[in-house]
Amino acid sequence: MHANHNQTTALLGWSLQAIEAIDKMSRPYVVVGPPEFQSFADKNEILFIPWQFNVSIEQSFELYEKLRELNVKVAVPIYEETVEWAGMMNSLLFENPKLYYKSLLLRDKGLMKRRAHLAGLRVGVFEEAYNKEDIVRFFKRMNQALVRLENDQLDPIHVKPFDKAGTVGHRMIREEKDIEEIEDEEFPLLMESHLEGQEFSCEAFIHDGKVRFLNITEYVKLGHSNFVPASPALEKWRPQIREEIEKLVVAFEVTHGIIHPEFFVTPDGKIYFGEVANRIPGGHIFEHIERAYGFSAYQGQVLCCDPDTSEQELSAFFPKEVISAKGHSGNLMVYPRVRSITRLDIPKELKNHPYFVKHNMFIPASSKVAERVGFGNHYGSINFFGEDAHEMRRLLEEFEQHNFYL
Amino acid sequence: MSPAVTTESKTTIKTKRRTTGTSRTRKATKPIDLLETKFAEALNTLNLAKPFAKSLYQTDVFQLANELACVDGGMVVLDKYAHQFDQAGVFLSGDWEDPTKLQPPFVGNSLRLRGIYSILELLSEMRMLSIAKGTYRHDSITKEAACAFLNEVVALNLDLLSPQETTEEADPPEEHLIRAHNLFTYLGQELSLKEVAEQMIIEIDRLAVQRPIITRRIAEMILLSKQLATSELDGNTLDALKKYTQAVEAPTPLSKEISNQREYRLRLEQATEEEIFVETKLFGQSMNETGLVSPFHAVLLRFLNRKNPDALPTALSLADTGRASFDESKKTIQDIIQFAIYPETKQSIYGLSGMLNRGVLKIDAIEHSIRQLFELPIHGEVRKALSTFVGEQSGISINGILIAGTISVLGQPLGIAQGQNPICQSARAISLWAQFEPGQLLNYITRAARDNTMEMIFEGESIHSNLLIDGTSNNIPLDLDIVSILLVPHLEKIYNEMIKRTLLRGEDAHKWVNREFYGEWIPSGFFNVIDGHTLSVKNYSAFIKMFYATHHPEYNEGSKLIYPNPVGIFLTNVHGELLGLHAVSIQRIESDHNGDYRIYFFNPNSDSTQNWGQNIKASVSGFGELEGESSLPFHEFVSRMYAYHYDPYEQGDTYMVEDHLVGKIEALAKESWGKNYMWT
Repeated sequence: MHANHNQTTALLGWSLQAIEAIDKMSRPYVVVGPPEFQSFADKNEILFIPWQFNVSIEQSFELYEKLRELNVKVAVPIYEETVEWAGMMNSLLFENPKLYYKSLLLRDKGLMKRRAHLAGLRVGVFEEAYNKEDIVRFFKRMNQALVRLENDQLDPIHVKPFDKAGTVGHRMIREEKDIEEIEDEEFPLLMESHLEGQEFSCEAFIHDGKVRFLNITEYVKLGHSNFVPASPALEKWRPQIREEIEKLVVAFEVTHGIIHPEFFVTPDGKIYFGEVANRIPGGHIFEHIERAYGFSAYQGQVLCCDPDTSEQELSAFFPKEVISAKGHSGNLMVYPRVRSITRLDIPKELKNHPYFVKHNMFIPASSKVAERVGFGNHYGSINFFGEDAHEMRRLLEEFEQHNFYL
Repeated sequence: MSPAVTTESKTTIKTKRRTTGTSRTRKATKPIDLLETKFAEALNTLNLAKPFAKSLYQTDVFQLANELACVDGGMVVLDKYAHQFDQAGVFLSGDWEDPTKLQPPFVGNSLRLRGIYSILELLSEMRMLSIAKGTYRHDSITKEAACAFLNEVVALNLDLLSPQETTEEADPPEEHLIRAHNLFTYLGQELSLKEVAEQMIIEIDRLAVQRPIITRRIAEMILLSKQLATSELDGNTLDALKKYTQAVEAPTPLSKEISNQREYRLRLEQATEEEIFVETKLFGQSMNETGLVSPFHAVLLRFLNRKNPDALPTALSLADTGRASFDESKKTIQDIIQFAIYPETKQSIYGLSGMLNRGVLKIDAIEHSIRQLFELPIHGEVRKALSTFVGEQSGISINGILIAGTISVLGQPLGIAQGQNPICQSARAISLWAQFEPGQLLNYITRAARDNTMEMIFEGESIHSNLLIDGTSNNIPLDLDIVSILLVPHLEKIYNEMIKRTLLRGEDAHKWVNREFYGEWIPSGFFNVIDGHTLSVKNYSAFIKMFYATHHPEYNEGSKLIYPNPVGIFLTNVHGELLGLHAVSIQRIESDHNGDYRIYFFNPNSDSTQNWGQNIKASVSGFGELEGESSLPFHEFVSRMYAYHYDPYEQGDTYMVEDHLVGKIEALAKESWGKNYMWT
């Protein structure tokens, strides 16, 4: 790879957390984001390029010119939608077209699963669907393969869009009538067999093709609760998990940046690959990493994206995995279960629990609850920090049942 | 950057957590100290953040401030850190950022909101307190100003000072109300109650001097201010408090002795002539001084009406005109008292007094029209609307309520107010008719009460309100007087219909609508400064000069304003920013005791002393204002006006108006509402 001699780092996507993190690194940066942030950026003297990422990638050269004027060295993707833009910018900046095509692999769940399959990772059975008939057929064939007879409980399948972050647009199909509810506009979709086992995600910081730091995030309930680092019961599979990650790195030819894959592990230690993203994970995972390990994951991402970061810098920056964690950092994302909110109920047992750090729930100014997309935006979150993974899991499970919004 | 945390430090954290945790066996750190530590940390984190990132950390501060504000001793903690709030960026990028833009009258509402805004408001008061105490020095707010701000806030919200009522079995009070109560309790300790009481009297004076028909708010404030009556207060404040408290409760020797209306009536039966005389005199005086009426006053009037009608003029505090009117229409007045004056309608006693003193009954056919109301059959819908005014136990009839409402309006035509409703046009109309067309008003009242409809002619075609669907909603809230409750729904519909019919004429609809809606006596000349086609300000200097030539006594060749002039104004807030259009009427234009010309006007807005920015503050007393009038120096009022009527037959020469006058007004206009318009 060519080393280019410019200095500036470009963050693609507007995230105050990411901006604050890079701002503390004393390296020049520019933020590329939606034009509505222009005045805020001006007021706060943040170097800013207004850009709509929903335009055709054909227009990328225009953005590249702007980046070059500002001596940009490397582009760092913040959101799912900016991954291929970062790929394209880095292709142009490093004069390496392959970077863009590699980034596309990470934006198409069908392609990425095939690639993982080819690389020898365990994946479920999957196929692309272009209409409802495809799903019906896949659903039937799956259950046929599992020899589910008329009276047996059918095995569910999952469908999701190729290129949406996290759980947006994800549906679980338990019976044929679930298929009817899918709107025609949602297609194409990726169909997958249901994977049993414990779900978790990894945040792997990669520099020069090597995994520099591997975090494992334990999911207590997908989209609702998680914690970092994972419990000893899950961490015991770390060597196997690391192996899978390394396979991914090779298969996807990841040289610099972070990857955020999701896996399932069965009780006997078989690891199934779910999907992988090339952006900052949701679910407050970066905040957990910072609280547990004391380093800014955003800064870690920037360092890893930059090919010029030295070995010394990297080893000084990343601490020892697991053993250096000060405790487990977890959080519960809270969704109202009522149509309109009139009251908050924060139980005393929560506030008085030694693991309780903070919550950010208020009675919203508009009491009507917005409709949810995927897991959508949660209304509030509660942070916990403590020593014992068991207790953490118990708390997250217990309060997941509680109605905070009344 | 990398944290070299070893397993040893893990253990220390463990032990520390145990001690700060829930274990109550060992005397652990008090929860309030733990909260304080967390709050201080959150504030410090916020303080260290760059301005662009403050919003990431403000929530934590608000959350912990909320917790503190809800617990005993929490306000002290907030007070301790309040001087750092601005520096840390607690209010950055929000409505509370600049404390010079805050206004005491808005605080109460914010505090009563659920959610985050009430927390910000509370923190803002604590910041103000730190300025008042001198722990925080603010560039543009002095200690004294901060103190005055808080005194006013407390005075306006004294109800928050009293503990929240916990009705048995009901839900506990909501968090935001607990917070507000804790804040006020704390402010009450920190501020001088003497100053709060003084501010309270200023507020009550300000409201009472306007002589509103609806006195609920004043009565509430008086009730609340009673708890401030301690020996700490100086004589004048104490006297004023006493005067008001007595006015709404018991202003006379006998009424002080007894505990309910029945006892008072029995006591009157046994009273000596001398005692009755004193009661009569004092009730009249108290009402006259305050515009407020005690329920016992109604008991006395009903008693005198039967036993000693000749004492009524004194009890009603009548002047010469009033006494003459009383003598002429004695039978009608006695019937009015019998039908309509009850403790529940006590405020109408003041209306009755005003109506007689204004000589309204001497006008042709008025007495007859009022008599008609005694036995008028009342429409079912109207009956429903009016019956909410009194409890079911009351002996007053629906006709009695209607009469009480009518005499209030006729006696206090400038005491009409729009309450919290966007009905300035209708309120202004009722006020105008009550002053100059009482016969017309009575016709409208009769028709609306009997048939639940109203009819007006517009350009030869009649408009019936009951045939119109559009208009404002029928849910007129209870902050209006009885006549307004009756008429406003009809008036709003008819008014909107008239506006609709002129929509395509390309000029301000009021040019035609005002004369048809309010009355033919409104002069035909009309000037609106906003061009109907381009919506820009056009001919501003001609607009000003014409107004001077037709209205200013030094330029209009001595023409007198005979009828009030319904004019349109731009309502602006304390910063001069445009809030919207508003309807007021100019009552008279005269020079005050300083020899300055002032415009005296009726503002149907319930708060006639608003600050309109640029130091333009309407006054309600001190410049010769009559009851219910507001006033402003001539040019200041003109700077907010956008439309007026004028009589083309009575105008001076516009070229006599000096350009520097126009320039002065134009500058005020351009720097306030004018910013929202193009000027051509």
